[in-house]
Amino acid sequence: MAVSLREDVGGTRQRHYWDRRVQNQRTVVDGVRLVVRALVYAVLGGASLIAIATVVSVLGPTLALDLYTPPVAAWWTVFTAIAVQGVPFLLLGTVVSAAIGAFVPERVFTKLLPRNPALAVPVAGAAGVVLPGCECASVPVAGSLMRRGVAPAAALAFLLSAPAINPVVLVATSIAFPGQPRMVLARLVASLATAVVMGWLWARFGKDEWLRMPASRGGDGGPDASGPRAFLAGLQHDFLHAGGFLVLGAAAAATFNIAVPRSVLDLFTGTALAAVPLLAVLAVVLCVCSEADAFVAASLSAFPLTARLAFMVVGPMVDLKLIALQAGTFGRAFAVRFSSATWVVAVTSSVLVGWWLL
Amino acid sequence: MRRRRYGPAVLLLLTGAAVLRVTLFSDLYLRYVQAGLRPYLIVSGVALVLLGVTTAVLRREAYEGEGGGHDEEGHGEPDDHHGHSHGAAGPRVAWLLTLPALALLLFPPPALGSYSAGREAAQRAAQGVGSFPALPAGDPVELSVAQFSSRAIYDSGRSLKGRTVRMTGFVTHGDDGTWYVTRLLVSCCAADATTSKAEVRGDDAPPTDTWVTVTGTWHPKGKLGSDAAWPPVLDATSVRQVKQPADPYEKR
Repeated sequence: MAVSLREDVGGTRQRHYWDRRVQNQRTVVDGVRLVVRALVYAVLGGASLIAIATVVSVLGPTLALDLYTPPVAAWWTVFTAIAVQGVPFLLLGTVVSAAIGAFVPERVFTKLLPRNPALAVPVAGAAGVVLPGCECASVPVAGSLMRRGVAPAAALAFLLSAPAINPVVLVATSIAFPGQPRMVLARLVASLATAVVMGWLWARFGKDEWLRMPASRGGDGGPDASGPRAFLAGLQHDFLHAGGFLVLGAAAAATFNIAVPRSVLDLFTGTALAAVPLLAVLAVVLCVCSEADAFVAASLSAFPLTARLAFMVVGPMVDLKLIALQAGTFGRAFAVRFSSATWVVAVTSSVLVGWWLL
Repeated sequence: MRRRRYGPAVLLLLTGAAVLRVTLFSDLYLRYVQAGLRPYLIVSGVALVLLGVTTAVLRREAYEGEGGGHDEEGHGEPDDHHGHSHGAAGPRVAWLLTLPALALLLFPPPALGSYSAGREAAQRAAQGVGSFPALPAGDPVELSVAQFSSRAIYDSGRSLKGRTVRMTGFVTHGDDGTWYVTRLLVSCCAADATTSKAEVRGDDAPPTDTWVTVTGTWHPKGKLGSDAAWPPVLDATSVRQVKQPADPYEKR
């Protein structure tokens, strides 16, 4: 018994001893493993870091230079140019729209605009004269008008007419076409007609589910908030939102600007029938600001006047950056339907007005 | 969390800083837009920076007001309600603004040059043959390439005859060894650039995209207003390399 007990005790002692040894060994092994792992990581990682750094520093500049070819450089320049020139106008538009959202009560618009949408549309279209900006400014303003209870048809007529018929644009047109006041008149009539017809078309056939109505977001105080805080929140949100889509549109426009050589146009200058739709498509892809498009139209001297009128009527209403902005504000389903319908109406009205006036 | 919260403020500051960097602190904006836009750009840049700072301060107040603001949801940011894909972080598409902003801050893209000039057929200004106002006094008289070109092709009074003119532009090459002094015209931004050019004779061609000031006399060719009169020709007496001017484009 005693022996076996002693043995037992010894066994226990031995087991403790072994446990301790195993534990010690384990810590040692762990330590060694840690060191080895650290070494391996340091060596492998360091080696690969050095390798990457070497490769990048040797190949990087040449690779970057290879990628930075003249077309790529021109793309970046046109891209940043469109974004930069859009910023002041976008800011103006978002300041106006945030001010409408925060400081102008709803009843002002219900009082100003006729109750009947059929009458409200031409009034809103003519009101486009007062916003001296290009097309980047009008989208946020139209959005905030809708939030303030203006009928979508009327707000859309304003959206289309504002960039096309404001005084800055009309003066630019008269400078670009010296001695041709009929061009200015034709532009005013054709643009206003397109805006009003599109408003009526929306009032008659438009479906509200196409339009993702810009929800009210009045800042920190809930949907009906007003005052400076709501103004700041609206301004900040609208500018960032529309700015993102402006950049998207600028990228698309720069891509077309670089990818489509303008010499392609020479193939089509002969026939008036092809010239009108061609310049109308060109207006969509070039995204020239509405305050400058008259100068571009004037320089396309090989084309008939009606085709150049179509270029100036379509440009402020349908172009890639505008489609991107509209898709962001009102939803993609709306932007696609509305822009394609506007394009057809704008081309038709330019042809009719051109035939009548030019 | 904090980072997400401050996203809009950072974006506004970045955009404002980029605009100010190319307008207020340098003349780089002339590579992208015409000179008249500068005051509006400066005002916009300052406004964006102020808006960014205000947004950051308001966010901070809201953050501290919530006792550390550990939750994103349940906080009364009304953006969360209406199916837009963004909340307190602001609209996600807005992050695209970092592309042009960082490009302007770090590597401002160069002015358009011979690549753009060569891609589109140089266009003649739309006008008929007629008389032009008298050229200013001075010998040589400083002209823009566009002015030289339209006087050479359309001036029934032939005001260029017997005058020595001086123009500045970059070099582009034509077929069979001809070369041109070329300048782009921008009326609003670089996206609407159009080209005008004049052929230079009597001196060897510098490399493409070199900026030069050429002095010489008009070499009449073709019938006024016809295609044969274009591009106009200059018999150069001197060709001098110059630095790229601050405004790389000509105004209309």
